[in-house]
Amino acid sequence: MITKTQHVPLKASPQPPLKRSSGGKKLFRKIEPYIWIAPSIILMAVFILIPICSVFQMSLNKVSKTGKIQGFNNFANFTKVLNSSAFGIVLKNTIVWTIAVVVISTVLGFMLALILNNQFRGRKIARAIVVFPWATTLVIQASAWNFIINKDYGTLNTLLLKLGLIQQSVNWTPTPGTYFAWEIACGIFVTIPFVTFCVLSGLQSIDTSYYEAATVDGATYFQKLFKITLPLVKSSLTVSTVLNIIYVFNSFPIIWTMTKGDPANHTDTLVTYLYKLAFYNNKQGEAAAVSVIGFIILLICASTYMIYTLRKGDDDL
Amino acid sequence: MKRLLAALLAVMMVLSLAACGGGNSGGQTSEPPASSGGDPAPAEGSGEKIDISVIAAQYGQKTSDWWANFQKEFNEANQNINLNVEVVSWNDIYTVVNTRISNGAAPDILNIDVFADYQAEGLLLPAEDYVSAETYAKFYPAFLDQSVVDGTVWAVPDLASARALYYNVDILEAAEVEVPTTWAELEAACQKLQAYDSSIYPWGIDMTTDEGQAAFAYYIWNNGGDFTDADGNWTLNSPENVEAIEFAIGLVNSKLTNSDPANETRYTLQDLFGAGQLAMMIGPNSIPTYIAVDKEPEDVINYGTAPIPTNEGKPSVSAGVMDRFMCFDNGHSDEKIEAIKTFFDFFYEDQRYSDWVLMEDFLPATSTGGEIVAAADERMAAWVDIVGSCKFYPTAKAEWANVKQGVINVEQQALMGGNVQELLDELQAEIEAEAAG
Repeated sequence: MITKTQHVPLKASPQPPLKRSSGGKKLFRKIEPYIWIAPSIILMAVFILIPICSVFQMSLNKVSKTGKIQGFNNFANFTKVLNSSAFGIVLKNTIVWTIAVVVISTVLGFMLALILNNQFRGRKIARAIVVFPWATTLVIQASAWNFIINKDYGTLNTLLLKLGLIQQSVNWTPTPGTYFAWEIACGIFVTIPFVTFCVLSGLQSIDTSYYEAATVDGATYFQKLFKITLPLVKSSLTVSTVLNIIYVFNSFPIIWTMTKGDPANHTDTLVTYLYKLAFYNNKQGEAAAVSVIGFIILLICASTYMIYTLRKGDDDL
Repeated sequence: MKRLLAALLAVMMVLSLAACGGGNSGGQTSEPPASSGGDPAPAEGSGEKIDISVIAAQYGQKTSDWWANFQKEFNEANQNINLNVEVVSWNDIYTVVNTRISNGAAPDILNIDVFADYQAEGLLLPAEDYVSAETYAKFYPAFLDQSVVDGTVWAVPDLASARALYYNVDILEAAEVEVPTTWAELEAACQKLQAYDSSIYPWGIDMTTDEGQAAFAYYIWNNGGDFTDADGNWTLNSPENVEAIEFAIGLVNSKLTNSDPANETRYTLQDLFGAGQLAMMIGPNSIPTYIAVDKEPEDVINYGTAPIPTNEGKPSVSAGVMDRFMCFDNGHSDEKIEAIKTFFDFFYEDQRYSDWVLMEDFLPATSTGGEIVAAADERMAAWVDIVGSCKFYPTAKAEWANVKQGVINVEQQALMGGNVQELLDELQAEIEAEAAG
């Protein structure tokens, strides 16, 4: 009883203010997360959502040469783009560019990660060297590649001439196709470090006991690679591949620095093509249409890949 | 307490971010009244300064300093005017201007190359409205003609550059080649040069996205062709034009030129020319300065200039490039128009104007400026003569941007084996359709 009577007043008197403050706390708890994420949401809205909406709006409207929106034009921007002879070449180039760079850099990056995951002298230096291409600006990388392959003053020709392997300067870019191949090579070179480090982080999280057990069971190197390593780094690979598809598809500096999409759109990808449409031809509506087409393609590719790999991952589990 | 502080901090962050975003758009929307609606204030004689905003193209490294100094001198000399000059690089200027226009914050005065798009949308004032009669009389009439639409001059030239044939005197002498004046002589000279030293390119051609339209102009103009006829109708697929481009492509196919004209810009050619790896090229009056950069005078190649070679019997035509000033119709008051006139009088004051032109190696667009420049530099005198008679791109036509990209595309397709006649027919049809609306 005593305890009861002691408790009641104790509880009773501070009760009303407690209730109020707990109500305030509850409300605060509710809105607290939103306050914290508000800056990012606002930033994303201002710098991502609004421009995306504006591009969609421009793609559906007639846009004057000075950038004024002049009303819905019945998808004329899209029909003009799809009917132009250049679009087919550009779309094909974009697909070749994205697949070649992503696939080859993933394979090579994966192999490099396997090598760097081994214990050897100078491993840290080797890892640092791998970061260099990644840490250098793409424009500088592309300019350097142009400098290497140039027929007149290129370092590749100079080197081969000095070594006596060739007698006169070789034109390394005789056709648009070869130029595009060099651009792909440059793209692969700068993408490898990203894949390597994604995979390397996955490799380092694999428990060595799996390999020990497999060795005891007599598994070969390739059995270990395909049955242990690959399944366990799959999530890292998925992340790097999806991000790579997006980055490479949207990559502008390499192609722009090396060829500007010349000659006659034969080395253009969607991004360089739309840049030319917007800022060289002043066809901003059509440029926006190309941008929307690119966005849709990318959305489909990236989400299909994500859904496919994640579902497969769930099945495996 | 900590939570409260944290929450306050977060709210502050959000507000400051919102303020940043709002500040921008607010600035943009409030700017037009400042320049247009704000004008009545001085008109009422309140003694407030008249604001003039200028966007100027960055021609080179000295442009920004020159304008900063100009702004200071102008504002000191005109206490009732507040001039604000913004120098923007060529890469960004079109985007910057278009963004300003679409936000209703067009500059009062713009210094750029093209004007037709702005004029077509009714954004500009006629030149005679904002340039005093005295200054207007200084311009070469041929230059003003380049900015005429519907019989009205909409922009005034700020400077020009002209093109001529540059040749390496030592290489030509060693190969015993005369400076070519006709296409036949040019082809023969190239073959002789190639036989003399196969490591030197005889002739330079730039058909890149950068400036492929210039190559198109050099050849068609020197074959009696043109972009338009006398009435201003597009004549891109005229027989003269087809013949001219076939000739240029023929030079490339015969391996008498640089190896990759679709990717080697004029700057690459100038580098090759300066290094003695290219014997002849068509280039602007600024080449002597370009090839002398970072070199001792004795290391600079021995070069000469001559008129651009033509097809037999046709007159040699130099290609001119001209940039302009234009004034946006922002609802200016009479006082503001007077202030803008003061700006142009100040800019085109003869000595100041010739300093401006010489600063980045350009050519003057006024006869009085031309006299001063010619007197100051003997080398420039010949160029001043050339620029007075050269032809210009038809930039007054609204389809020019597409024609420019179109002819570059035709050249590049032709380099890959396309049929010049068919390609130019297609382009002509496309441009005619655009012109028809």
